[in-house]
Amino acid sequence: MSPMIASFLVLTMLTSASALAMAWTKNLLHAALSMFLCMLGLAGLYVMAYADVMAVSHLLIYVGGVLILILFGIMLTQQPGKVRAEMQNDLETKQSGRFWAMSISISTFLGIIWILTRSSITWAMYSDEAQKSSKLTYLGLTLLTEYSFAFELVGVFLLVALVGSTYIAKHHE
Amino acid sequence: MNEIPLIYFLMVSALLFSVGLAIMLLKRNMIFVLMGIELMLNAANLNLIAFSRHDDRIQGLAFSVFVLVVGVCEMTIALAIILQVYRQFKHIDLGSEKSRF
Repeated sequence: MSPMIASFLVLTMLTSASALAMAWTKNLLHAALSMFLCMLGLAGLYVMAYADVMAVSHLLIYVGGVLILILFGIMLTQQPGKVRAEMQNDLETKQSGRFWAMSISISTFLGIIWILTRSSITWAMYSDEAQKSSKLTYLGLTLLTEYSFAFELVGVFLLVALVGSTYIAKHHE
Repeated sequence: MNEIPLIYFLMVSALLFSVGLAIMLLKRNMIFVLMGIELMLNAANLNLIAFSRHDDRIQGLAFSVFVLVVGVCEMTIALAIILQVYRQFKHIDLGSEKSRF
């Protein structure tokens, strides 16, 4: 087994185990910690796919931004003075709900795997030489030339989301 | 040649997507549901990046940047809405206002 495949398997184990722990746990803070581990593993997987710039931006945005936002959301939406047993998340305890969720997600997973194993022959034309160099320079040039309108639009979209979320989150008395 | 096959990335992405779907369907807390949606978005992003590995013009990588930005915007707006829902109802559990099935 080559070291590339071995490190890929380790990162896959980290990502999928933390995602499954996120689905398993009832505690919201444990789920936030599992999401942190999952994002770390996903950034490693991006590095494995030769997308180092995407890995770095993913780490910056998700671990630095979104996770802090989620923790603030958890802290702001807990009732004060509750005992510890009631601070845990309310899981779907009815049997039918868990049955439908599990059956829908497992059948989705098996369906995707079935489609992938059936259609893997037609990807032979894509499996030529992969780009192994860093894509930072090319991505920057592409974003500022070919996708410049979408890039500016995303900037405006970020501004709209910032102003809109601060307006929604304020006290409307 | 130590090349990771494309099908490995697609299988990891399928697993992440279905776990995100399970979280979204299983949990009642709104923040938990948001985390499941983020997991599904990241699974789609992993697919885009894995396919963009074999592309000379890195279209998938450029598109994944926009997917990342839209996911972050969705997260901020949804957390602001969750904050207002908490101020209104004093809890953020889905489906507890009306009768359950």
